[in-house]
Amino acid sequence: MESLVETANPGVLSAAGKEEILSEATSKALHQVRETVGNPFVDNPRMTCREVNVYYGDKKAINNVSIDIARNEVIAMIGPSGCGKSTFLRCLNRMNDTVEGCRVTGDIRLDGMDIHDRNVDVVPLRARIGMVFQKPNPFPKSIYDNVAYGPKIHGLVQNKAELDEIVEGSLKKAGLWEEVRERLNQPGTGLSGGQQQRLCIARAIAVSPEMILMDEPCSALDPIATARIEELIAELREQYSIVIVTHSMQQAARVSQRTAYFHLGDLIEVGMTDRVFTNPRHQLTEDYITGRFG
Amino acid sequence: MKQPTTNPAIDKVNRGLRRRYRAERRFRICGATAIITALCFLFLLFFSIVANGYKAFQKTYIQIDVFFDPAEFANENLATANFPGLVKTSMSSLFPEVNSRGDKKELFYLVSPGASFQLMQLVKNNPNLIGQQQSVWVAANDDVDMLLKGHIDRTRPETERRVSDKQLAWLDALAADGKIKKTFNTTFFTSGDSREPELAGIWGATCGSFYTLLITLSLSFPIGVAAAVYLEEFAPKNRWTDIIEVNINNLAAVPSIVYGLLGLAVFINFFGMPRSTPVVGGLVLTLMTLPIIIIASRASLKSVPPSIREAALGIGASKMQMVAHHVLPLALPGMLTGTIIGMAHALGETAPLLMVGMVAFIVDIPHGFTDPATVLPVQIYLWSDSPERAFVEKTSAAIMVLLIFLFLMNAAAVYLRKRFEIKW
Amino acid sequence: MKKSILLASALIAGLFAGSTAQAAGRDYISIVGSSTVYPFSTVVAEQYGKTTNFKTPKIESTGTGGGFKLFCSGVGVEYPDISNASRAIKKSEFDTCQANGVKDIIEIKIGYDGIVFANSKKTAPLKLTRKDIFLALAKDVPDPKGGDKLVPNPYKTWQDIDPALPAVKIEVLGPPPTSGTRDAFVELTMETGAKTFPFIHDMEKKDKNMFKATTQTIREDGAYIEAGENDNLIVQKLEANPSALGIFGYSFLDQNADMIQGSIVENESPTFENIASGKYPVSRPLFFYVKKAHVDVIPGIKEYLAEFTSEKAWGAEGYLADKGMIPMDKKERDSIAEAAKNLSTLTMK
Repeated sequence: MESLVETANPGVLSAAGKEEILSEATSKALHQVRETVGNPFVDNPRMTCREVNVYYGDKKAINNVSIDIARNEVIAMIGPSGCGKSTFLRCLNRMNDTVEGCRVTGDIRLDGMDIHDRNVDVVPLRARIGMVFQKPNPFPKSIYDNVAYGPKIHGLVQNKAELDEIVEGSLKKAGLWEEVRERLNQPGTGLSGGQQQRLCIARAIAVSPEMILMDEPCSALDPIATARIEELIAELREQYSIVIVTHSMQQAARVSQRTAYFHLGDLIEVGMTDRVFTNPRHQLTEDYITGRFG
Repeated sequence: MKQPTTNPAIDKVNRGLRRRYRAERRFRICGATAIITALCFLFLLFFSIVANGYKAFQKTYIQIDVFFDPAEFANENLATANFPGLVKTSMSSLFPEVNSRGDKKELFYLVSPGASFQLMQLVKNNPNLIGQQQSVWVAANDDVDMLLKGHIDRTRPETERRVSDKQLAWLDALAADGKIKKTFNTTFFTSGDSREPELAGIWGATCGSFYTLLITLSLSFPIGVAAAVYLEEFAPKNRWTDIIEVNINNLAAVPSIVYGLLGLAVFINFFGMPRSTPVVGGLVLTLMTLPIIIIASRASLKSVPPSIREAALGIGASKMQMVAHHVLPLALPGMLTGTIIGMAHALGETAPLLMVGMVAFIVDIPHGFTDPATVLPVQIYLWSDSPERAFVEKTSAAIMVLLIFLFLMNAAAVYLRKRFEIKW
Repeated sequence: MKKSILLASALIAGLFAGSTAQAAGRDYISIVGSSTVYPFSTVVAEQYGKTTNFKTPKIESTGTGGGFKLFCSGVGVEYPDISNASRAIKKSEFDTCQANGVKDIIEIKIGYDGIVFANSKKTAPLKLTRKDIFLALAKDVPDPKGGDKLVPNPYKTWQDIDPALPAVKIEVLGPPPTSGTRDAFVELTMETGAKTFPFIHDMEKKDKNMFKATTQTIREDGAYIEAGENDNLIVQKLEANPSALGIFGYSFLDQNADMIQGSIVENESPTFENIASGKYPVSRPLFFYVKKAHVDVIPGIKEYLAEFTSEKAWGAEGYLADKGMIPMDKKERDSIAEAAKNLSTLTMK
């Protein structure tokens, strides 16, 4: 496994020079053009997105977004409400297919495979790209069944012993095992909010995905549960690529290596997280992270 | 309570406060009055039905001593034996002084015409009785039953009541001898319809209702749920599905007699199914309950939170798996409730069955889906239109039974909802 | 889930298989028709079912006209075998039967039913003539001031019609037009009552339609209240409203003699004896009709005829008389019973 790029590593950020050139332009001009500031591309990406547009009926929700997602990184997507960051996230595992009237154009590839290709089935795709939602949504079944559901429907196991192993392993990875090992048969809905969210993460990783999409996973949780999830995210990075949409800039700063700032459907700026927060190059990014709006 | 404050806005609020509370009080009084009125009507209804009908659960019997004369059983076939003659002989032996033909007729009138069938049954079950003397409790005639239950006023002039002075005297004599008793009316629960009120029962109609509803349930539940799932989860939202939705909603409000006409035209005239049978009745009621079940099922599918669907899809479940594993189990209590309410609706329906010939006089207990049958509400309707006074209490008693069934079904709906409801 | 779907479909398949198999043969008699004959034919059916090895016939109360419609639809197990009627079959109905292959029909007259005009026992019985009834209930009546013309019915109370009658508002509860009782009532009282006026009598020959309209149209200003087919309801309403008069079959008067009394019509009160002897003028014959083609196909039809035409059923002391049917005289009974035995069929020119 490749380790994640460092900010100072020019080999990873292949077009670092371009970044410099763009930064010379005035922010006002950029505001109108809204071309992405910073370098959204990486070497050897897990996922590539090129010129992605999303329409809800006649309304364009995502405008020409191109970005790469590296292996073993946490990339945070931030931006004011309605900026399209969740919509974009849902393009990555084609969850937008389920939304009536939603149309996605552009090219999205997972390890070089076009996810919109006619030969690509959405079911295995979603098994490869797990998702954790804003509100913890465990199935109203037992804790065990919640985790076992994915492996069962995908036929990943031959027998009960293997399944037990996967359930235990997933719960351990999600840091929930010690808390629930005695009550695996109790309903998952009986857990606390933070535990439920970790259960949802365990459920997602039980099918051995390559990527995990997290849509504001901590917005419904208290600070302690949030901290627990954030620790977990940091651990999970070693095995998975994680895309996290968040409202909290602090959270983005704490958990992510790179940050992408969205504004009204445009990808405004992408860069290494500490760079974006300490030295935003686009006026809009600066306004947002300094709290002038958002 | 209202101290002047320095804040003028609060003063204004305080001034309006009393008016606001008054409005609330008025509204609550209106609501309470409505509830009380409704309860009064309900109580009145129950009271009148129970007051009319509770006596039907008792039945009057007269004890007679029957000598099963071997001479009468010369023939091999038991049914041809003169059982009415045996009854008459026994009655005469109770009052040997009655001689004239007219008086004898009045005397024999005291026992039900069903008494001879009762004797026939006794002999059939135990042929050894032939040649023996046996004391038997036989059903009294409906007029005697009415008299003893106080529905016939014996102080009226003789011409104005259906029991003559002579019959009164005989009955009093029998009562003094302890040869009249009132016991629980098992006949009412075990026999089919009859033109003799003392022999009539609701078991035939109950069986008919059971078979009819079984057909209705086994067809309308799967079809209704499948239709609802398809419309709600799979069908594209376009003009066609809109038209279908509007039509289903309209069908739920179509007068039920229309379904009867449809059933007559399609099932009987076109497919040639037998009239008056639970199959046809069940199919007609299926048509009637389908819209109710579809609407209830769609509502309960809609109430399943989208987060559960997303969770399933997000993990890579196919749409079918999402529906079958997660949405259906959660929607099922609501679907079951809708189905049971639809069934209760079907249980109380007569109008569509009129058209397919289930409003009929049927004595034999139906034993299958293709035996001629009637249903409980139809039985009530038929009895309410019978001239015999004794059917009045039978009607009320049958209504009580029907209400109990409806109550049980609704209780089942509540129970199922509570039992399978999943909270989170 | 899958299992239950499988189970349900198996059940449905079984049902349809069963129903089609059943349609091939029928082992019980199917009877339709008049609600007036219904109480009598049901008693016979029950007796027949209990004393023979045949199944009890199924009897639907569809009304006379509705019964003939079903009866005349064709020959075969899906059509009824017997139709009850509170009037004789009409030429048009007979023709429909013929057209649909129902060639041979056996007509059996079973007895009489009196139509009574009853009121509550709380008041005195009325003494009416058929002319009084016509004047009280027709929509248009001859001008009370004289002359051969019709005027809208001006009568408000019975006294307006005949000073001997009480000064009570005219209020009559009767059957709706769909009922056979209504047909018989119109024919037996309204028409006869109207014919007491010579110019209406002459009208019958001159202008048949006009005559029909005059005699058959009941007033619609509230004096005649259509009370539905449920005669028990009429009895209860009479009990509650002593000034009202009700029209229904004799059997309801017979069963409720403690609450209501029959009005005297043409000086005859509606008693069993008077109707049987024909003295009481408002009575009608009752019939049933049998499809001869079914006699040997459906088991037990002959036995049912035998039961119905036996003395213990329709005789003067029979159980039908107990239920309020007025028997015919012995001679007529014998000849009809004989005809029923021979399955003599009906012919119509």
